Amino acid sequence: MKIFCIIPAYNEAKTITGVINKAKPLVSKVVVVDDGSIDKTKELAKAQGVKVLSHIINRGQGAALETGNQYALREGADIIIHFDADGQFLAEEINDIIAPIREGTADIVFGSRFLGKKSNMPAFKKYVIIPLAHLVNKIFTGSNLTDPQNGFRALSKKAAEKIKIEQDGMAHNTEIISKAFGSGLKIKEIPVTVIYHDFGQRFSGGLKIIKDLILARIIN
Amino acid sequence: MRYALCEKMLQQIIALIIIAFFLARLFWQKQKKQIGANEFIFWLIFWLLAAGAIIVLKWIDKLVANLGFSGSGIDILIYIAIVILFYFIFRLRLRLEKIEKDITKIIRKISLDDKK
Repeated sequence: MKIFCIIPAYNEAKTITGVINKAKPLVSKVVVVDDGSIDKTKELAKAQGVKVLSHIINRGQGAALETGNQYALREGADIIIHFDADGQFLAEEINDIIAPIREGTADIVFGSRFLGKKSNMPAFKKYVIIPLAHLVNKIFTGSNLTDPQNGFRALSKKAAEKIKIEQDGMAHNTEIISKAFGSGLKIKEIPVTVIYHDFGQRFSGGLKIIKDLILARIIN
Repeated sequence: MRYALCEKMLQQIIALIIIAFFLARLFWQKQKKQIGANEFIFWLIFWLLAAGAIIVLKWIDKLVANLGFSGSGIDILIYIAIVILFYFIFRLRLRLEKIEKDITKIIRKISLDDKK
């Protein structure tokens, strides 16, 4: 099975080398999508000998992932993993996230911080931002996934073909979930670890996501 | 009553002079080819309608009063103008979204076609 690991990256020169090298042994191919970084992310990634796709202007994580997906499908991928470049995810868990797809019990697997693994999440995030994110996700997708904003996921070839990411920004997380549920794919959620070095997405980021989702509904 | 009438007429005349100035400027810009035909027609119609509304302001006042509205004709015009403005802004935002998505398509093609 051809397993591709897509790593969307924007100004992650500090962590990209480590992330690439931890993921490389576990997959067939690592693909870094450099989303217009102004630091040395692209050069560092190329130095690790992995495929680097380069957006000459920053377009957003959703856009970077869709570029990665299209490349992977073109190259004959059977399983596509989405993995953040900031070192928040554990590469070892790649095996856990692709297992259901390998076994044929799922077409798409979502990672969740809230299914049992411990984390050092900031309190404001845990008790205010995350519950609100749940609510927004429920409203826009009708689903009850426990961690809709989690970027650690795995898609089978079938899932990647059915889900075209049109949201360039952070609303892509909700979009992927919505399209997954809408296409009748087999969906699974597994516990993953997320390490917090800094706060991550803020409340204002959340508001922008809501605006993007509403606009998308109006346009379509 | 007479003073109020004169004041209103003065305002209308000043407004019409300003519109005449903008119209002249519009024709000058078209002459200098600074704006396209579409833009020219759009603003031409806009200013003519504005001038027209100001000229028949008394008539609009009567129309509005007959409909049971307590404000004057100018108030109605302003409300309508604001609604139209909001509509234009909405359309602009949709247009911007489309442009952003098109930019992403181009950037994506460049990245995927890059043989390096």
